[in-house]
Amino acid sequence: MALKQISSNKCFGGLQKVFEHDSVELNCKMKFAVYLPPKAETGKCPALYWLSGLTCTEQNFISKSGYHQAASEHGLVVIAPDTSPRGCNIKGEDESWDFGTGAGFYVDATEDPWKTNYRMYSYITEELPQLINANFPVDPQRTSIFGHSMGGHGALICALKNPGKYKSVSAFAPICNPVLCPWGKKAFSGYLGTDQSKWKAYDATHLVKSYPGSQLDILIDQGKEDQFLLDGQLLPDNFIAACTEKKIPVVFRLQEGYDHSYYFIATFITDHIRHHAKYLNA
Amino acid sequence: MEEESGEELGLDRSTPKDFHFYHMDLYDSEDRLQLFPEENTRRRKEVVQAERANESTGAGDGKAQRDLQEEVEELVHLYGLEDDHELGDEFVENMPRMGVSEYPPYGMKRRDPAREQRDWRLSGEATEAEDLGFGGWGSAGQCQDLREVYRYTHGRASEEYECYVIPEEEDEEEAADVFCVTCKTPIRAFQKVFDEHKEHEVIPLNEALESAKDEIHKNMYKLEKQIIDMENFANHLEEVFITVEENFGKQEQNFESHYNEILETLAQKYEEKIQALGEKKKEKVEALYEQLVSCGENLDTCKELMETIEEMCHEEKVDFIKDAVAMADRLGKFLKTKTDVEISTQPDFEDQTLDFSDVEQLMGSINTIPAPSAPVINPQTPNSATGSSVRVCWSLYSDDTVESYQLSYRPVQDSSPGKDQAAPSPPIIKTKEIRSCEEAVLICWESGNLNPVDSYTVELTQAESPEASGVTESVVGIPTCESLVQLQPGQSYVIYVRALNTGGPSTRSEPATVHTIGSYFRLNKDTCHPWLTISQDGLTILRSERSTPTKEPPPSDTHFTRCVAVMGNLIPVRGHHYWEVEVDEHLDYTVGVAFEDVPKQEDLGANCLSWCMRHTFASSRHKYEFLHNRTTPDIRITVPPKKIGILLDYENSKLSFFNVELSQHLYTFSCQPHKFVHPCFSLEKPGCLKIRNGISMPKHVTFY
Repeated sequence: MALKQISSNKCFGGLQKVFEHDSVELNCKMKFAVYLPPKAETGKCPALYWLSGLTCTEQNFISKSGYHQAASEHGLVVIAPDTSPRGCNIKGEDESWDFGTGAGFYVDATEDPWKTNYRMYSYITEELPQLINANFPVDPQRTSIFGHSMGGHGALICALKNPGKYKSVSAFAPICNPVLCPWGKKAFSGYLGTDQSKWKAYDATHLVKSYPGSQLDILIDQGKEDQFLLDGQLLPDNFIAACTEKKIPVVFRLQEGYDHSYYFIATFITDHIRHHAKYLNA
Repeated sequence: MEEESGEELGLDRSTPKDFHFYHMDLYDSEDRLQLFPEENTRRRKEVVQAERANESTGAGDGKAQRDLQEEVEELVHLYGLEDDHELGDEFVENMPRMGVSEYPPYGMKRRDPAREQRDWRLSGEATEAEDLGFGGWGSAGQCQDLREVYRYTHGRASEEYECYVIPEEEDEEEAADVFCVTCKTPIRAFQKVFDEHKEHEVIPLNEALESAKDEIHKNMYKLEKQIIDMENFANHLEEVFITVEENFGKQEQNFESHYNEILETLAQKYEEKIQALGEKKKEKVEALYEQLVSCGENLDTCKELMETIEEMCHEEKVDFIKDAVAMADRLGKFLKTKTDVEISTQPDFEDQTLDFSDVEQLMGSINTIPAPSAPVINPQTPNSATGSSVRVCWSLYSDDTVESYQLSYRPVQDSSPGKDQAAPSPPIIKTKEIRSCEEAVLICWESGNLNPVDSYTVELTQAESPEASGVTESVVGIPTCESLVQLQPGQSYVIYVRALNTGGPSTRSEPATVHTIGSYFRLNKDTCHPWLTISQDGLTILRSERSTPTKEPPPSDTHFTRCVAVMGNLIPVRGHHYWEVEVDEHLDYTVGVAFEDVPKQEDLGANCLSWCMRHTFASSRHKYEFLHNRTTPDIRITVPPKKIGILLDYENSKLSFFNVELSQHLYTFSCQPHKFVHPCFSLEKPGCLKIRNGISMPKHVTFY
């Protein structure tokens, strides 16, 4: 697949680039951001995938989170894709901010008219990594994933559905139990239909309960003043309880005074990157 | 040798043959030139000198013509001059330096080795010269004069006057026929009758003749003897002259050979020395010359007398008698005068001690670099000494060039031992109270002595290497019973302590072993809450199940009263410290750090002097708090740690907690310990905590 470079900026000794390509899974042009640390000039680096939340594009994370310094220091290639297919001209895709465009929910839709394009799960777990491995100096054996809100949910489910694929996973204010929250219900019913059994396949809390795989070390930061937490959209307790039950190591930090915004992300992004570096650079 | 040379050389002068005793060339530069035609070119003289040589040869001829007397006087005059430069007339100019002889010195042959060394002033045509060299005589004229004198005195005496005979007297003439003894004149017989001789004794002339003859004969013998003596003396003088010259030559040669190298620096020295010698020579020669002159005069007189006598003997009887009497008088007088046949001056020169020390110094100092300034010894650093060695460091000035250093030492005795004080007993290390970390160890001990001890010495060896090869470091002069010693990380050490007083050092204490891996501490029993028990090894804290008294113990400053806690003694060294605590899942515990003066009546974490992690297990739920100043972040941990790793990082002001088994990071405090903190542990419920320390940091911890 041909990559078209959209932009390139030097940052903390490395390069923040944006590319565009024709996605097979999504049947449209997709952009993604890639940060290449200084270390990438001389050798292969681990890859860390960031999944952004509702309404975001590939730009939000690279411009607001302030992750470059930590990524540069730890020598990690950070890939930040878009949150949904764009310009597919599907009816109703732009009606809501929490469904359709910018709200892919990292699932492979089974319902029409979404199923042709809205295959973000496959895109994230297969197409994109292949593309990245083929075009950038990354070590395919060392990959981790993290995200925010919807992206947090995406990170968790990707990790839980693919034991051993990711060395570590972390999340900022993730939607932990979409099956039980309004966002999740809306999205899943739209993309997956009404069969709730299909929904569970994309619910972190449920996936944890049957997670057979290797040890995961999950770090979750949650702003205490996060409106969506208070609205019951995120439901971390359920996830924690399930993890406690299953002895999945989680450190969940409720951060006093913080909200759902990128200011919150920026505050703790370094901790998360260090968390991943510990496993990626081990 | 003289004779031979004399034979060889021919004389082109109109000098009598009998004057071959001295080589002409000695005094005649002309001749000398003939012998040594290349001498001038071979010389390494300065041009001036060469010119001088030439001039002097030329002058030599002229001199020969001069009046002897004149020259004699001039000679004397010349000898009084020290320096060429002082000489005014051409005569003088042409004269070579006193020290420099135009004529090779007598001992030419012996100059060969000297020549090999240096070819300085004189050329070394030693091989050619078998002839005499009366160097230093100065101008040819001088020599010539002397030679003539010699010739005069010597030649006649030896040759012409070998056999001295007084011719027989002739027959009597008509002259006097009686001899007046009184008047000592021959008179005619008839004169006796006259007035003047009336009373005088008169004897016949023949008798007078006889007696006069006798007398004269006697005196003749004496004269002859004296002549021989004088001859011998003259000979001797001559030899002395030769020897003088020889010695001078030798001396000159010595000086030449020594000074040749340092041409410029020694030129003056050489000149001075030569001048001095020359002066000496001058003195001697003068003295000798004077002697010679007087000797010559003496000889003259003798000869004159002889002539007179001779003539006299050919006279008429009367005249003879007349003269004879007079002659006898004169002879008598003359012979009475003492002739000094002692040589006034020793021919030998005192051995000149050649003082070249300053020259040697000069020579030696040509290539030296200025001596460096004294280095500065750095003050002794700790741990730089052992029982038998000391590490000395010094610095030097950057301008100095240094080839090597010389280190010397001497033991410094303190005030004399005085009374024989016994050396102290060895101290006893409190092994249970050793605290260490990766970079240092804190040891304390008991004095082991009743009497006061001046100081203590800590000795340590690395335990890997056995006693034989290991270097023992020692820390000396420790005033108290504890010491903080810097160490290398990842090593094992064996430590001894000695006590020291004026009687000397004690034997070594029992050893203690220290491993510089991780941080090592023990629990401080003094801080222990009464309800806690600490195990023997100081690493296990036990809160027993027994029913606790209802009443809490009274407040105390040293041990915890409210919080059932105990503190450890961490080595007061900044850096990283890591230890682990084994806990039970269902245990309520608190682990962390606190300042030494943390209020013992409060809970750990309830104040700003402590930071800790607290686990509470209630209703099957694990609650984890990270307490400082009563506040805690909201943290949920899904998997309760069984082994907690605690990292205290002074440099980054952080205190981190880990789930060791999962390599999971739990929480990090940002604390600013302005003083040193110590580990603290408390048990809210009965149970036990096991501490593990002396372990190095796991890799995952290093990320934090």
